[in-house]
Amino acid sequence: MRLNTAQFLISQAWSAILRNGAITGAAITNISVALCVLGVFVLTAYNLQAQAMQQAAAVEITVDLAKDAKRAEVEKSLRANERVKAVRFVPKAEALEGLAQRWGLDFSTLSRVGNPLPDAFRVVPVKPDDIEAIAEQAEQIPGVAEARYAQQTTTKLLKLARGIKLAGLVAVIILGTASLLLVSVTIRLTIYARRREVRIMQLVGATNWFIRWPFLLEGWFQGTTGGIVATALLLPGYAYLASLISSNLGFIRPVQSTELMVALGIGLVLMGSLFGVLGSLIGLQRYLQEV
Amino acid sequence: MIHIQDVSVAYPKGIQALSGVDLHFERGEFAFITGASGSGKSTLLQLIYRELEPTRGQVIVDGHDVSQLPRHRVPLLRRKVGVVFQDFRLLPMQTVWENVGFALDVIGATKRDKHHRVPLVLELVGLADRADAYPDQLSGGEQQRVCIARALVNTPPLLLADEPTGNLDPVISLNIVQLLCDIADRGTTVLCATHDTHIVDAMQRRVVALVQGVVVRDEKTGGSYDAA
Ligand SMILES: Nc1ncnc2c1ncn2[C@@H]1O[C@H](COP(=O)(O)OP(=O)(O)OP(=O)(O)O)[C@@H](O)[C@H]1O
Ligand SMILES: [Mg+2]
Repeated sequence: MRLNTAQFLISQAWSAILRNGAITGAAITNISVALCVLGVFVLTAYNLQAQAMQQAAAVEITVDLAKDAKRAEVEKSLRANERVKAVRFVPKAEALEGLAQRWGLDFSTLSRVGNPLPDAFRVVPVKPDDIEAIAEQAEQIPGVAEARYAQQTTTKLLKLARGIKLAGLVAVIILGTASLLLVSVTIRLTIYARRREVRIMQLVGATNWFIRWPFLLEGWFQGTTGGIVATALLLPGYAYLASLISSNLGFIRPVQSTELMVALGIGLVLMGSLFGVLGSLIGLQRYLQEV
Repeated sequence: MIHIQDVSVAYPKGIQALSGVDLHFERGEFAFITGASGSGKSTLLQLIYRELEPTRGQVIVDGHDVSQLPRHRVPLLRRKVGVVFQDFRLLPMQTVWENVGFALDVIGATKRDKHHRVPLVLELVGLADRADAYPDQLSGGEQQRVCIARALVNTPPLLLADEPTGNLDPVISLNIVQLLCDIADRGTTVLCATHDTHIVDAMQRRVVALVQGVVVRDEKTGGSYDAA
C-alpha cells in the first residue's frame, strides 16, 4: 500500500470516529461491558479453581512402612520421583501422638497399651492431579506396606476443579461469541448509516479493500479502547474486592497475583481489538457483496 | 471504445427498460442520448460502468466484456469511466474539495498531484470559491457542477454525463456542454444523456434517441427531435 493511501485511509478512519462520536461511544461501551462480563467470569472461575486446587494440594499421601523396611532406601525411592514435592518421616510415636490429640486421648496412657501404628512417610505431590499415580508408584517400592490418602475428598476436589475449568472455557466461548456479535451489529449500524457513502466509493472506483480499511481501523480502535476501558474498570475493582474479602473472610483467599492481572489485562485488550476487527469484517461483508 | 450489442435490460416486475439496443461509440466521440423521462437513458449509461448488467446481449468497454469482468477488476473499469450522476451522489460529510479529491485518493494519487488538479477542475466548473462548502450548503446546480468536477478530475478516457445540465440555468448549461465537447475533442469519449432540446440543437453533434427502451434514431449530427 502506498504511503499516500495509508495516510488517507487512517485520516478517513479517524475523522469517521470523531464524526460518529455517539455511535463510537456506544460501540466502545458495548465492547467494554461485554469484556467486563467476560473478565468477571474468568476471574470467578479462576478463583474457584484455585480454591479447589489449594484444598486438594493440602492432601498428603501417607506411606506406611512394613516392619522390616529399610527406611533410607524407601525415602530415596520416594524422593527420586520428580512428581513429589516433599517427603517427611513420621515415626510411629509421632503418629500415635497425633492420633491421641485428634481423638482427645491421653498419649501416655495410650502408649502404655502399645503402639500398633507403623512408621510412615508423609509425601506431598507437586501437582494434586498426580496424587493417585504417586500413591500407586509408592506401593511398588519394596518395604512399603500401604500408601493412603483422602481419596474421596481429593478426587471430588480435582473433579470440581476440572469442571470449573471446562465451564469457564465454555462460558468464555459463549460470551466471546456474544460480544463478537454485539460488535459486528454495532459496526453494521455504522456501516448502514454510511451505506450510500460506501456505494459512492464503489462507483468512483474504490476497491473493496480501500473501503474496508477505514472501517477495520475504526473497529480496531473501538475494540481496543473497549478492552482498555474494561481492564481499567475490572482490575482495580478486583484488587479492591480481593483485599476486602481476604481481610474480612479469612478462610477465603482470593488469588492476588500480578501475573494474573497483567495476563487478564493483555487478554482483554487483545480480545477487544480482535473482536473489533472481526466484527467490522463480518458487518462489512453484506455491504460489499455487490460490486 | 464502447460496443453495445443487442442489449436488453429487464427490471424485476417485468419492466423492459431497454430492448435490442445496438450502439457503437468511437474513441473521442461525443454523443447525446435523448428521450423522454423513463425511456432508458440512465439505464443505458449504468450498463457501461457496470452498475447494471444486461439481461441479454454484450457491453464491451475498451475491449472488455463488462459482464465477464471478475469482481476485483470492476473498480479498475470504473476508474476509466468518469460519471456525472443524475442524482449527484456526493459524499455528504466531505467538502467540495474533498469530494473532488476523493476520485484521486481512490487511485492513490500523491498529495501534490491532488493540490494541483483539484483547484484546476473546480476553476473549470466555476466553483473555486466554494471549495470548503459541504454539499448540503450548495444549490442543486452547484452540486451538479461538483459532480462534473469529480468526474473530470482524473481525466478518464470515458465520460458519462447523466443530465449534467438538469439543474443549471441556460447560460451555464451551454458552457458546461461546450466544456464536455471540448473534452471530447481532446480524445475523451463523452456520452451525455439529456432532454434539453436547446442544447442538442445548439451543439449539432451525434444524437441517439430512445423511446421506451428502443433506439429510434441515431444520427451523426443533428438537432433534437426533428427527424424522430
Ligand atoms: N431500479 C429499478 N427498478 C425497476 N425499474 C426501474 C429501475 N430503474 C429504472 N427503472 C425503470 O426503467 C425505465 C427506464 O428508466 P431510466 O432511469 O433509464 O429512464 P431515464 O431515461 O433515465 O429517465 P429520466 O429522464 O427520468 O432520468 C423506467 O420505466 C423506470 O421506471
Ligand atoms: Mg435518468
